[in-house]
Amino acid sequence: MTAVPLRARLRPGGIGARHLVLAARIVGIAALTAFALTTPGFTSALSVNALLNAISFIGCVAVGMTFITLTGNIMSLCLGATVSASALIFLASLAFGVLPAFLLALGFGIVVTAAQGLLIGYFRANPILVSIAGLSLLIGGAAFATGGQRIYPGGAGLLMFKGRVAGVPVEALYFFATVIVGQFILSWTRIGRVMVMVGSNIRAAHAVGISTAAAIAVAYVIAGACAAVSGVLLAARYGSGDMELGAGYDYAAIAAVLVGGTAIQGGSGSVIRTLIGVTVIAMIEVVLLLRGFSEQLQFLITGLIVLGVIMLHTIGEKR
Amino acid sequence: MTRAARYLLTPAVRPFTIMAATIVVLSLMDRGTGYFFSVGTVFSVMQLFATLGLVALGLGLTLLVREFDLSVASMVGLAGAIAVMTGGADPWIGVALGVCAGVVSGTLQGLIMTQLGLSSVGVTLGGLLTLQGITYVLTGNATVSYPNMAVALGLNAPIAGLLSVRSAAALAVFLLAGLVMTYTHVGRDIIATGSDRRASRIAGLNTDAVVVGVFAASGACAALAGVLLSYSLGAASPVALADVLAPAAAAAIVGGVSVVGGRGSAMGIAAGVLTLCILRSGLGAIGVPPYVHDLVTGGILLVIAILDAPDLMRRVTAWRLDHAERRDAALKGKSS
Repeated sequence: MTAVPLRARLRPGGIGARHLVLAARIVGIAALTAFALTTPGFTSALSVNALLNAISFIGCVAVGMTFITLTGNIMSLCLGATVSASALIFLASLAFGVLPAFLLALGFGIVVTAAQGLLIGYFRANPILVSIAGLSLLIGGAAFATGGQRIYPGGAGLLMFKGRVAGVPVEALYFFATVIVGQFILSWTRIGRVMVMVGSNIRAAHAVGISTAAAIAVAYVIAGACAAVSGVLLAARYGSGDMELGAGYDYAAIAAVLVGGTAIQGGSGSVIRTLIGVTVIAMIEVVLLLRGFSEQLQFLITGLIVLGVIMLHTIGEKR
Repeated sequence: MTRAARYLLTPAVRPFTIMAATIVVLSLMDRGTGYFFSVGTVFSVMQLFATLGLVALGLGLTLLVREFDLSVASMVGLAGAIAVMTGGADPWIGVALGVCAGVVSGTLQGLIMTQLGLSSVGVTLGGLLTLQGITYVLTGNATVSYPNMAVALGLNAPIAGLLSVRSAAALAVFLLAGLVMTYTHVGRDIIATGSDRRASRIAGLNTDAVVVGVFAASGACAALAGVLLSYSLGAASPVALADVLAPAAAAAIVGGVSVVGGRGSAMGIAAGVLTLCILRSGLGAIGVPPYVHDLVTGGILLVIAILDAPDLMRRVTAWRLDHAERRDAALKGKSS
């Protein structure tokens, strides 16, 4: 055994690089926390609430996206539209009562993504292509159903999905519940482990007799349910909805997933990481806001940090 | 399936088949009223083509080498803002600077990917957000109007009733890309890199250079689309241009670009873009509500996704065998 040359150690995937990345992660999070805590007003109730609100809506979608990324299907461009469409279903069916409306929205979100998951899992259809098809169909279908009008709810009783419990916004409670359920499925159920295995090596999973199609379909079902929860929360928050409600959530969600450190090629990652990712991005935005940066600089700095963090994560891993 | 049908559905011919089918169906729906077959429809198809086409071409090139350039969506906006802000006196300066920005951003992202071994989705997602941020900073988060209205009018003035300067420029870029892809080694290098990158590298091809070049070209195409669009609108604004990504990807895929790399051509992409543009303006001309366009596009994409799925034939064969077995078993049960 000869000594490993330094250059090889610093190459992507080398031992040195991995330690370097770990150190950089710790330093980065510590620096961000210190920076946040020294920002005047960051710990005020108002700012904490703003932070919780900011992470709740996108966070739910990001938890769903985690499962898609984890099973090796990169990302879905359709989740934002699923959020909007579930919100529309929820608002349109409020007349039947809040709970039935919630279940209808949940069912709708699940059906939309499960159909995509079945195509992707069963035929191995390309996930990005299928999601673009789903996006087109949802936008067209929604325009057909609503005539392009905003929907205003036909019933009352939205308090279940907005307001506060013990000072904490209800949206955040739903989000944390989503995170806990998601991480539970991933860590402590058989299907969760199977999903990770399918993401890390689909051929090996198939060879040992795992139904890869079912695993991928389940991942999409979870993603749809998460998107629907986000849609319902958004609908309750704004009291009306159209297809713009969740526009752009796909990109925000995949950014949170990648910043959290879930691997884009699948097979490695967790819901907790996504929680960290979505919190880090929201913290950066709140700190920049409190420090008086203009809105345009906030966008730029957030973008650069996301780019930097994604590069950092992937340097530690072989492609 | 007859031999002719099989030929029409081969990947290289399919985009043109779909385009022809679209035209036939729309003209049948038109029932001779002449709204569809009019100079006006052709002109509006080509105007749509000018914006969507260039973005789809760049994105399609990155798909060809098995990557995916998300950043084109905000490159369109950024280049438009740069052109509008610098091209007041001389529009060519705006074009040059805008396209330069596209080349620089594409090259940088390509270098990051190839030198650090990162995946394109992650890097270009960061690029998407960063370019969007730069656009916000440049424009101060407001719509910037372009003082030189003569340019705006000139770009959209009809040439021979069918084209405008804008759509003619887009067509010229496609023609150039088609010639380069067919008659130079660049086209073969791109296809080789997309088909099997490791094999190409072993065969002596500098695949990193190909990938960087493709991303530079993709940035340039998206930038040119943005410059032309902003000039012709007479304004640039930082918002709402992310909507261009999904239609551009759809157009490239309808145009026969394989999402697993190594298959596709510039002319195919042109046919794919034209199909979507014909659907949009054709359905509008006939008087069909706009949502039909989205539904039909989604349906076409879904069919392509299923037809191109690698496991489709395996599953269908398995079903058939299963069905035959069951039928035999049932027959046996009856006879005994």
